[in-house]
Amino acid sequence: MSGFVSTRGQVGFNDLKIPGAWSRKIGKDLYEVFIGPQHPGSGHMRIIIRIDGDVIVEADPDMGYVHRTMEKLGEGREWIKGIPLYERMAIHDACNVTLPYVRAVEQLLGIEAPLRAKYLRVLLCEINRIAAYLYGFGIFGVFVGHSTMYMWPFGDREVWIELADWLTGARLTHSYPVFGGVRRDVPADFTNQLRKAIRYMRKRLEEYRKIYVDNPVIRARLEDVGVIPKNLAIELGITGPNLRASGVLYDVRYNDPYEVYDELDFEIPVFQEGDALARVWQRVEEIKQSLRILEQVADWLDKHPREPILHDRFWKTAPPLHKKIFETEGRAKLVPLYALLKVPKGKAYAKAETARGEITYYVESDGGQKPYRVRIVSASARNAIVFKYILPGHRVMDLPTIYGSIDYFPPEADR
Amino acid sequence: MDVIDVIVKIITWPPLWQLVVLGLVAPLGVVVGILWFERKTAARVQRRFGPLHVSPRIGGAIQLIADLMRYAFQEIIIPKTVDKGVFLIAPLTALVLSIVPVVAVPFTSVSHYWPIPMEYSVLISLALSTISAIFIVLAGWASNNKFSIIGGMREAYMITAYELMIILAILSVSAMTTSYNFVDVVLAQTGGKWFIILNPLAFLAAFISVLMATSGFPFEIPESENEVVAGPFTEYSGLLYGVNMGAAYIKRFVYSIFITLAFLGGWLPYQPGDGFISGYLIPSLVIIVKATILMAVFSFLRAVYGRYRLDQALDFAWKLLFPLALMGFGLGLLEAYIGLIG
Repeated sequence: MSGFVSTRGQVGFNDLKIPGAWSRKIGKDLYEVFIGPQHPGSGHMRIIIRIDGDVIVEADPDMGYVHRTMEKLGEGREWIKGIPLYERMAIHDACNVTLPYVRAVEQLLGIEAPLRAKYLRVLLCEINRIAAYLYGFGIFGVFVGHSTMYMWPFGDREVWIELADWLTGARLTHSYPVFGGVRRDVPADFTNQLRKAIRYMRKRLEEYRKIYVDNPVIRARLEDVGVIPKNLAIELGITGPNLRASGVLYDVRYNDPYEVYDELDFEIPVFQEGDALARVWQRVEEIKQSLRILEQVADWLDKHPREPILHDRFWKTAPPLHKKIFETEGRAKLVPLYALLKVPKGKAYAKAETARGEITYYVESDGGQKPYRVRIVSASARNAIVFKYILPGHRVMDLPTIYGSIDYFPPEADR
Repeated sequence: MDVIDVIVKIITWPPLWQLVVLGLVAPLGVVVGILWFERKTAARVQRRFGPLHVSPRIGGAIQLIADLMRYAFQEIIIPKTVDKGVFLIAPLTALVLSIVPVVAVPFTSVSHYWPIPMEYSVLISLALSTISAIFIVLAGWASNNKFSIIGGMREAYMITAYELMIILAILSVSAMTTSYNFVDVVLAQTGGKWFIILNPLAFLAAFISVLMATSGFPFEIPESENEVVAGPFTEYSGLLYGVNMGAAYIKRFVYSIFITLAFLGGWLPYQPGDGFISGYLIPSLVIIVKATILMAVFSFLRAVYGRYRLDQALDFAWKLLFPLALMGFGLGLLEAYIGLIG
């Protein structure tokens, strides 16, 4: 076959030098299937697979369909406006995703949040983490045709979203951590409801195990599917639960503790198998550890009296009305200083562990009211490459299994 | 009076009665109830309400009628690239052919109400039931869509594996009664000796195979949405899509009737008498009710199991179900040999 000749008869398809219009030769007996971006099982991305019979021979993850120029947009806004912008990368994981940005700017400002604010940040981070894992479970459940596992986690996720709503005033995009602290203190009786939610979640995890993880059909689908060997995981630089399920102990909360993670008692689960089942178990175990962290945070919050949750540099500029509102309602309104904040010249770098892995921010300031440069490397962007190396050799029906088990989130990857 | 007499005569003419009333109208009546039941039980397990808003007082029971109306009035889009003739004919033929096996089975022991002679009814009905699958594969091929072709191929794989198991499992009752006549098979079960008790292995094999061959919810490998969109029916819309779905559903209903006759005692314990009502209507209803209960059991598995991979499903068929069906066949022969069956 000598390429496609257009009906007008002059220009062959191969002669066009338009990016994206080049034709590719594919091997004999290969069948090229474009899965996505409008496919019910693809998410906002495309995976181009070439199959021989029922076996995938090649796979090309083709991302970038939800690129929203986060980094460039950030250069045109005041510092504080970066927080609601960047949390759009992963709205259900908002606190984890924006926390390193806040911490990087705090480094430039030379300030540190009060201890209570740090605990509150950890509180919302872990709530977000659990909700994000449950979201991933739901998507994964529908990918392997298990409708109950689609409905259950989405229902139980509501518990954590309601808690976050109560704490911050928003279900998803909380914009909770701000430079030098957080926006609100916990409402009265919050810690008791939190403990109730923890007990409920422990009970539900056991039920998930019975109906889903130990279900013989599901186990047959997941075991030894999509194995990421330890060395490949390190070589590709994948991160988060996927990396830990392949036997590498790396978690920013443990290796490079931020906020108050070094004062809390928790473990980092690690699985050696590296297959889809191990990745599910990894997330189940991490939810258990997050529950443990939440329990300790609840105890700490109960024991310690209320104190300012914003750094003094900002809090002392607050008008008397703001202070009154804080004393009566526990809400720290954003002080006017934030709008005109000038960050000293310099470079800063911060990272955090999101539900999908390590996210890093490089922030550069030229001393103005807006950032000079914010560079983000998100966890999903690092995990996407894994499809290219894992999918070949598997059957077409394994594609949603592997895609779901990686818990890939396109808006976060495309930024 | 004469007109009514003629109409009654026409409706109760056995081939028409079985083809239209039992093959087409009864499944449509049953589908409304069963699908509602299926969705409500699944919703119960999954802690939601299920269908509710169409008729809140009766728990959304007529939701399916609303859905069917939507399908009926939707525009039927025929893409430019499809093979139009085959694209249109395939689902309609599949629907008709999935009903046809109903005329080859007896719904009563009164020979006056048999549509065809019943000497070889087991063989004929099983043979007729296997034809419609070809047209589903054809629908996938005519759609000229990669997902449709993959889905059609999966359908072909599943059908070749599981229809053989159904045939083997149901033929084991022929081995037990040494007869290819469904009437003999049913009459041999008189006195509570239903073959589900005498030969549970064959029943189990038939049950699972029917579930898989008709792409029941946990095993809807050819149509699994996350890989192949809607499988062979990706390009279909509106009423044609509804016809496709209806064909699969009627096929499962027909297989339920086979299993009812072969293992669940057919019209027993009722003894057909003379006349249309006691000789034909009531036995037909008994069989429909039993088949409906069987359909309800099929729908229970929906909430609990995930989807097998294609190669695992085929493994399951050949390594587990095939020996099971053979064992059922052997058990039937053994029971016939020691004279357990009247």
